[in-house]
Amino acid sequence: MDQAPPLARAWYGAGGSASALTRSFANAPDMMETLMPFLGQIMDESSIDLATKELVIMRVSRLNGCRYCLAAHRPVALDAGVPGEQLAAVCDEADLETLPARERAIVAWVDQVTREAGAITDAQLAATLDHIRDDQLVELTVLAGTITMLNHYCTAFDIPPPGSER
Amino acid sequence: MTELRNAVTAAIADGRMGDRLWLYATYHCNLACSYCLTESSPQIRDRRALDRRAMVDAAHQARELGLTCVGITGGETFMVPWLPEALAEIGGILPTVALTNATVFTERMLDRLAPLAGADVALQVSLDSDQPRRNDAFRGPESFAKVLDAIPNLLGRGIQVRIATTVEDQTDDELARLCVLHRSLGISDEDHVVRSVVRRGRAATRGMGVELGPSDVLPELTVTADGAFVHPFAPTVRDGRTDLDLLVSRQTRPLEHAMSRFLRIVADLPGGADVVRNIR
Repeated sequence: MDQAPPLARAWYGAGGSASALTRSFANAPDMMETLMPFLGQIMDESSIDLATKELVIMRVSRLNGCRYCLAAHRPVALDAGVPGEQLAAVCDEADLETLPARERAIVAWVDQVTREAGAITDAQLAATLDHIRDDQLVELTVLAGTITMLNHYCTAFDIPPPGSER
Repeated sequence: MTELRNAVTAAIADGRMGDRLWLYATYHCNLACSYCLTESSPQIRDRRALDRRAMVDAAHQARELGLTCVGITGGETFMVPWLPEALAEIGGILPTVALTNATVFTERMLDRLAPLAGADVALQVSLDSDQPRRNDAFRGPESFAKVLDAIPNLLGRGIQVRIATTVEDQTDDELARLCVLHRSLGISDEDHVVRSVVRRGRAATRGMGVELGPSDVLPELTVTADGAFVHPFAPTVRDGRTDLDLLVSRQTRPLEHAMSRFLRIVADLPGGADVVRNIR
């Protein structure tokens, strides 16, 4: 907190604490003023329940190999009600086929968005829309892209995962 | 712009901010003063100078926003090669004071300062003691002699000169003798600024100076190559890293962007803030 720019302090806790990622963003407080509300809108509960969003966050972070996001969001996902077996599946610790049909369709969609968005077919789009509304698919796709951005950021700057800071 | 200008004018009238825009010309310096806020020195790795266009544009925008004067500091401002010409230009926009150690005023440099004669530009020269050894212990070898050589040369060319003394352990007698000295040089008491070493930057590393309280310094928007800061004591450097605790904004162009954020910060300060520690 001692080194936090005044306008970045709104995103610090009452005791002056903040995640390593937040402290890193504070280097650019102007960007933070736009980014933090954006991330809130994208990642908080909306017309999509938090558990579904956290499932997507964990899946994309797993695909991108982001140590920080996986460590930071595992407890959030559990608190949001993501069952342990679903968490295991999206983290490749169990078979994706064990997921319920809705979650399996969503994961298939974000997998394709993350790995090769240009290869998405009309059939896959239609199959996904069998389980969620089109506006929800828009949100989840933006969420997947946003998480990829954060994954790359955390990996590039080697942001230390929660609990690993010295 | 009108709304922002009105807000600036109101904040100045309320004593929540100063009316001056500060520009950090560079972090480079030919000296390495013991209490330097910015760890400036001849060996500095990254000089982080503002470019001339940026400084002139900022002065124009400051005037449009309702600020009434400009301060230029550093680093040693005259390490920027085009400063004499820029000073004349900026002084034509708003009254300007440039802080300098006055140790680089060769005849050639003095000739380039000729357009400042009669202009609304003052050079504020650092002088910390009437004793050469004491002064030079703070500021570097031969700086006392160079300052005493430069001041008559500047005044003789019709350039306004002020003196700034930064106090760490000088005695009252020493400061009184310094006043006798500056008066003998033709500098009035009104043009002599005395302020404490502030415990930031190199001063903090060396355990010098006083800690800044939140109401010790009147906020004055301060633009550097690293961004805009709350006041000129803010963009300090310690162990090679710029302190961010008083960073307002990374974006300084247009100045409105930084000013609107600066106003949000000063809005939380009490009106009529006392200026205990004044850089000028």
